[in-house]
Amino acid sequence: MASMGKQKSSSLDKSLSKGKPEVNAATYALLFSEIVQYCQNRVYTVPELQNKLAEMGQHVGSHLLDVLFLREKGFKREIKLLSMLIFIKSNFWKTVFGKEAEKLEQANDDERTYFIIEKEPLVNKYISVPKDKGSLNCAAFTAGMLEAVLNGANFPAKVTVHWHKGTCFMIKFDESVIARDKMIDSR
Amino acid sequence: MTVYDFYLFDRNGNCLYYAEWNRRKQPGISKEEEFKLMYGMIFSIKSFINRISPKDVHDGFLNFKTSKYKLHFYETPSGLKFIMNTDLNVGNIRDVLQQIFSSIYVEYVVKNPLTELGEPVTSELFRSKLDEFVKGLPFFGTRASS
Amino acid sequence: MSRQTARGGDPRKVNGELFTLTYGALVAQLMKDYENDEEVNKQLEKMGYNIGVRIIEDFLARANSTRCNDFRDVAEQISKVAFKMYLGVTPVVSNWSPAADEFSLLLENNPLTDFVELPEGHDALIYSNILCGVLKGALEMIQMDVDVKFVQDQLKGDNITEIRLKFIKRLEDAVPVGED
Repeated sequence: MASMGKQKSSSLDKSLSKGKPEVNAATYALLFSEIVQYCQNRVYTVPELQNKLAEMGQHVGSHLLDVLFLREKGFKREIKLLSMLIFIKSNFWKTVFGKEAEKLEQANDDERTYFIIEKEPLVNKYISVPKDKGSLNCAAFTAGMLEAVLNGANFPAKVTVHWHKGTCFMIKFDESVIARDKMIDSR
Repeated sequence: MTVYDFYLFDRNGNCLYYAEWNRRKQPGISKEEEFKLMYGMIFSIKSFINRISPKDVHDGFLNFKTSKYKLHFYETPSGLKFIMNTDLNVGNIRDVLQQIFSSIYVEYVVKNPLTELGEPVTSELFRSKLDEFVKGLPFFGTRASS
Repeated sequence: MSRQTARGGDPRKVNGELFTLTYGALVAQLMKDYENDEEVNKQLEKMGYNIGVRIIEDFLARANSTRCNDFRDVAEQISKVAFKMYLGVTPVVSNWSPAADEFSLLLENNPLTDFVELPEGHDALIYSNILCGVLKGALEMIQMDVDVKFVQDQLKGDNITEIRLKFIKRLEDAVPVGED
């Protein structure tokens, strides 16, 4: 399964040139809903549930990256940290979720940490979190996707999800990414 | 004009949701009993209407009136039953009940991964959307006019 | 045409790759969690059933159709309206049984299986089995007991993907407690 995207390069090329038609948002919501319930039945705590969702998100993200880089004609791999983040906020978000992310911010006190803020992410649109699961945010799935995309593009990072101004994705880059970025700058 | 209360049953007769607005008199029985009574009556009226009708029934049972209130009914082909009691001046509100189904129940219960279908609806989002919707109805009225 | 709307951001549409890959992630997860393919197939059908009982409500809310008169009506609604609405494809209805209680949905493009090749050693896996569950669950909610299964699958080298639906019986509404 892990090599799903690679094995069939010929069929991949074919569907890319056409672009793939969209699917009804309700179909997606219901599929995602089943995924959440399935995961929920196999874990005990909210953090475990979020981890499981993030894992599946990573699976999606790692395959999606290839599709996107191939799809966007003349798309070169980003090298600079900031351009990568802007790519995520604009192109990536727009292609995958149909609109740009609402905000991209850097933490005041940490150069490794960035935030992408989205008031109502696709996967949370229909979810009303019960009081006993107060902290649950199913966008952990999206965070997993982001993490895989960043890692796949050679920007190793941890992405976590938080309730803040809606949903906030906290991206914490690896030291090496920051160091590399400084090196490029100083050239 | 005003709205008194609202019931939602699934096709097995479970009351999934109940809410009231300007209902001033309580029936003096437990809610559970009240739901059973309501569902039983709806069930009987439905089969009565289907048997008695001189022609093929299309929309079936829409509403009935007493001297004090009017009960409106809408059923989906999947057997969900939406019931709303209002005062006598309210006309045919089949489309309103249909809208509760399509834009509130489907959106906030059916698509919510954390709800179990066939269980009472506890979603806060559903509660607040329905409340907002009902209070915004042209015939909801204000307390002074009712 | 559809791509244009994606760029414009129709909130009622979702990127097709995201959908296919999300389904792929689910199947991959199930294959990790379960010992054999039969268990995965069963789980996929169960999840599909759960989706079916929900999607039918959405369908009824949008399509605003009344109860179907016969199984031919049902076939038309499934292929021309439901599949089109939810997956963006229109399967061909064919191979009716003489008694009109069985038909096939022929899919040339199965939106669940783009970028998919069955991994080695999983010949029994019915990758898209979720669709059978969805159809079964949805039809059950409108009082129809129907048997649904894949009889051909492009993933397994067949020329076309074929889902067979067989009408079993009509289900009755529940009678309230204390009445007959």
